[in-house]
Amino acid sequence: MYDSYLVVKDTLQNDVENGKTVGFSFGVRLANYRGIFLSLVNGFYVEVDGKVYSRDEQTFEINGRPARSMDEIAKCYWEHWDMQDMGRVHILEEGGLAPGEHKITYMECNLAYYGYHGKGCDDEIFVKNPPQPGDPMGSEKTPIKNDYVLELR
Amino acid sequence: MGIKRGVSLYSYQQSEWFGRMTWRDQLEEVAMNLGGATGIEIISEATIPQYPFPSEQFIFDWNNEIARWNLKAVTMDCYLDVMQFRTHVMNHKEAAQRLMYDLRLAKKMGFENIRLVHSVPLEAIEMALPLAEELNVRMTNEIHSPYPITANLNLPDVDHAFMGADWKYRHSQDIAFIERTGTKHYGLQPDMGIFQYRAPRPMLGYLLRSYVSAEEAGRIVDEYYRVFDEAGESAANKYMEDSCPAIMESKFGFMLFSGMSARPEELYKIAPYIYCIHGKFYKMTEIPGKPGQYEESSIRYPEAIKVLKSIGYDGYIDSEYEGQRSQQDMGDAGLADEVEEVRRHHEMLKRLIGE
Repeated sequence: MYDSYLVVKDTLQNDVENGKTVGFSFGVRLANYRGIFLSLVNGFYVEVDGKVYSRDEQTFEINGRPARSMDEIAKCYWEHWDMQDMGRVHILEEGGLAPGEHKITYMECNLAYYGYHGKGCDDEIFVKNPPQPGDPMGSEKTPIKNDYVLELR
Repeated sequence: MGIKRGVSLYSYQQSEWFGRMTWRDQLEEVAMNLGGATGIEIISEATIPQYPFPSEQFIFDWNNEIARWNLKAVTMDCYLDVMQFRTHVMNHKEAAQRLMYDLRLAKKMGFENIRLVHSVPLEAIEMALPLAEELNVRMTNEIHSPYPITANLNLPDVDHAFMGADWKYRHSQDIAFIERTGTKHYGLQPDMGIFQYRAPRPMLGYLLRSYVSAEEAGRIVDEYYRVFDEAGESAANKYMEDSCPAIMESKFGFMLFSGMSARPEELYKIAPYIYCIHGKFYKMTEIPGKPGQYEESSIRYPEAIKVLKSIGYDGYIDSEYEGQRSQQDMGDAGLADEVEEVRRHHEMLKRLIGE
């Protein structure tokens, strides 16, 4: 779903803290027809110009609050990411990105499904070893990586 | 009396996602442009801002708009994310608590029913039942393709992660539960998609586009329909196997090419337990030679509505348009017109119901 729109146009920018460029960030939308509890967000598959950034290099900004680490997000059991809202994925990368266009390959990774799982898939295993960014199990509605070209603002 | 018409706001999901229609606009569209439709169904986690804790202002505004347009809040569709707490799989008591919370929220918003996801355990449903009775809000389990209405052991095994372990038996278990408890607050909600007898055009096109060009995909879809009309299901499936073998092996292949998961006559068996119906559809096309009249050419609507009329069903059929989801990979020009699709669907429903 929303393949062409999951990374939002014109949102790529470098993140500057105390005068120092510490990384970059871009806006993302949910590949779903409903919102989800924030605890279910398990990171994002992010590849920029061929370089893959892991979950540990990501923080997530949503609901008007400062960006939180993915471990903090996993504890937000009752906070909701509404379907209408854009979140912002921040990536740690010293010096940020160079001016110009960048290719972002993206797929979301969350644990929102339809109730208890069936055969061939064990909920208990998911508690200990949830799908990691890049695993199609983490994006049931758009289980493919899509490419986006954005110009740094 | 007779069958009543409504709309699930799921149908306008794309307009909502892009910020082109709010829930208020959607209610107005249903009330003003569908020739007498009165029912409203929602996706709880799409329409309710900051679910599960909406503001009192939102609840007030919702009830006010429903009254303003003289609509009826029929069903609130609820989910159960069993990983919500992340440290453990939600246990059945916690699942029951989530159901009870949704029942209370539905009551505040004036809904008659809440729809559960199919794998909610009967144990959790039984725990929530006294509250459903007290509030007089009914729970329904959706019968969604590829689930059969009654146990069908001839179905192939499927390991879809989102299917409950007992999927072939689930609705037989529901019926036994309803008969054992005698409850009037737990029932069934068939989705018209169970009468889908061939691959819907938009979904087939989307899957094909992951293997071939958009142009080639369009050609294969047209040819599949032509072969199906002229030579039947086996010939059409053979054609698909020859033109794109990968699609038959994909995880959706089973759902697209295995025919109907239930027959319309099976509705007789569950007649007393049908609380609400999802009018699933993917694309409305004009009937050749009948300008202004539309059909859903992958689902057996005429046959199903005929059965519903003969059993005296007088609840709602809520339009559930889903074709837009398969057209969002082609950029702005490829996006579907949800408002027009739902209007066409109601032209068909009205005509088949015989209003």
